[in-house]
Amino acid sequence: MSTNPFPLDKADLMKAYRTMRTIREFEERLHVEFAKGDIPGFVHLYAGEEACATGIMMHLTDVDRIASTHRGHGHCIAKGVDVHEMMAEIYGKATGACRGKGGSMHIADLAKGMMGANGILGAGAPLVCGAGLAAKFRGDGGVGITFFGDGASNQGMVLESMNLAAVWNLPVIFVVENNGYAESTSVDYATAVDSYVDRASGFGLPGVTVDGTDFFAVYEAAGEMIRRAREGGGPALLECKMVRFFGHFEGDAQTYKAKGENDYNREHRDCLKIFAARVREAGVVTADEFAAIDREVGALIEDAVASAKAAPLPSARDLTTDVYVAY
Amino acid sequence: MGPIVGIIANPVSARDIRRVVANAASLQIADRANIVLRVLAALAACGIEQVVMMPEHGGIRGHVMRGIERSRNQGETRFPHVTHLDMPVTGTAEDSARAARLMHRAGVAAIVVLGGDGTHRAVVKECGRVPIAGISTGTNNAFPEHREPTITGLAAGLAATGRVPARVAFASNKRLDVAVGERPAEIALVDVAFVTDSYIGARALWRTETFRELFVTFADPEVIGMAAIAGLIEPVGRGEAGGMMVSLAPAATARTVLSAPIAPGLVVPVGIDDWRRMPAGIPFHPHLAAGSVALDGEREIFFDGREAVSVTLTADAFRTVNVPAVMQFAATHGLLRAGASLLATALA
Repeated sequence: MSTNPFPLDKADLMKAYRTMRTIREFEERLHVEFAKGDIPGFVHLYAGEEACATGIMMHLTDVDRIASTHRGHGHCIAKGVDVHEMMAEIYGKATGACRGKGGSMHIADLAKGMMGANGILGAGAPLVCGAGLAAKFRGDGGVGITFFGDGASNQGMVLESMNLAAVWNLPVIFVVENNGYAESTSVDYATAVDSYVDRASGFGLPGVTVDGTDFFAVYEAAGEMIRRAREGGGPALLECKMVRFFGHFEGDAQTYKAKGENDYNREHRDCLKIFAARVREAGVVTADEFAAIDREVGALIEDAVASAKAAPLPSARDLTTDVYVAY
Repeated sequence: MGPIVGIIANPVSARDIRRVVANAASLQIADRANIVLRVLAALAACGIEQVVMMPEHGGIRGHVMRGIERSRNQGETRFPHVTHLDMPVTGTAEDSARAARLMHRAGVAAIVVLGGDGTHRAVVKECGRVPIAGISTGTNNAFPEHREPTITGLAAGLAATGRVPARVAFASNKRLDVAVGERPAEIALVDVAFVTDSYIGARALWRTETFRELFVTFADPEVIGMAAIAGLIEPVGRGEAGGMMVSLAPAATARTVLSAPIAPGLVVPVGIDDWRRMPAGIPFHPHLAAGSVALDGEREIFFDGREAVSVTLTADAFRTVNVPAVMQFAATHGLLRAGASLLATALA
């Protein structure tokens, strides 16, 4: 077929695939490496959720800001943070994005508009209100996007931020990454009204729920919301229903999941597989072209791990640097 | 035991992108639960003692059961006895279809459905000849008529108990059957649209330049959505024989351009090339070689030139409770007057 039936051109379809594949490879590799005991702290893996970060971030530039979660690697990669620096950061090395002092849960890169992964649940919401206010004052057309989970959606500051964003009509998008579990507690148990769109309605924000395993569903919905926000239409909420392939953290026995749930999700709800099959069947990107991206990403992650392992740890002198921002 | 009425209220409807691109309504869960309570009260007033509901985890069940318990604690008998089907909950439209299948098997006398066109389609796929009474809580809602749910509940109750004879109480409806290659058959209650997007994405239809062909069971100029396009060209009634087929094109190149309300608040130019009546039982084949099929306004299936695609109108495909006819009958026969029950049954 000669025409491209998708809302992205071939180069962008390949970019989206490369981003999702990079996140997947990064997380699958961390799953293996973390078990070896060389990585300090905790890691929370994003595998299975790639279409959400990528479908949204394909609409953003460095002027747009995002605030991430404890499960932030996917957001970082999709926002353009350097994969080598991320891996080094997770290994706690001096070459890391935050010079090895942040680790997995505090990777940030302000030049890329990535305001940070965050160990405090829901804490990204007030941060992007600030980013949205700054963008509004500057008139630079930027938007602020915060991600939080179904669990963090019950935090007071998320709700307070929705109120603030509505009151100030900020260019802010609240993204609920609903993977069905707040750590190990199911949504059904922990959330009074499971429809996060209803939360948005309470503050006068439009809310939309999409299948977060479908890149195109996220891409389309996010695109309309982001355009609306850039045009002064104000905040909105996007709920992406998705699955996480691993536990809440590495080492989680996942006893709260149904037997075979992860296998089922990998077989039937893998956003990467769904995306690749759809684009390949339409004849826009070939299997060979996807395979070439897979090889390229495999080499990138391999090199990122080797470099991170070889890099030096921060020295004792680094303890007092980067503590305060210089004005 | 008297007749049992089923209620299917799926919390997942009315959550799509039309809230952003078209200012569509977003009916909250608490409001949906209140609608269910109104329907239950109306059913009880008609003598329905047993109701079975679809289980869901969206918050409707808890709210409804709290309302019933509170009433019971006050010594009232405002509501029927409510149970929930024993079935897994997926949080998708599949729950509506499964619940309809189970209710059909259980022999319910009628099913009250809360949702938009998508929820009603899921129910009709599986409910067989069990009549449905639709309540509009979705986005476009061309199929369920807009009406206070208490009245729909009364009509469903009067029809289910047999106090209004079946020839008055129930209406037959048309359906569109869609075949794509060897895939399982699909249906639509109102419209089937062929669009050039070859992906499902955010499902809704709002980019008119992608519209190519449209098939409708009825064409009502008072509805919104794809059926509005046909309705504004040449109205076709719900009870009238046959449907309509419309050839669409980008407005810039089309023979005629029509302003049509394709979503709530979204009145846009739509290019029309041709239209013709669609008799029942004859398969129509779209000219579009590849793209998506939208069923009742939502992209559901993508196809390419390798698969044969057809759309066929089926007459008398399923039954609905004819609410205006039931309420007229109830009024003229005094069905809701005190002590009217036996008299009305005798008259019927």
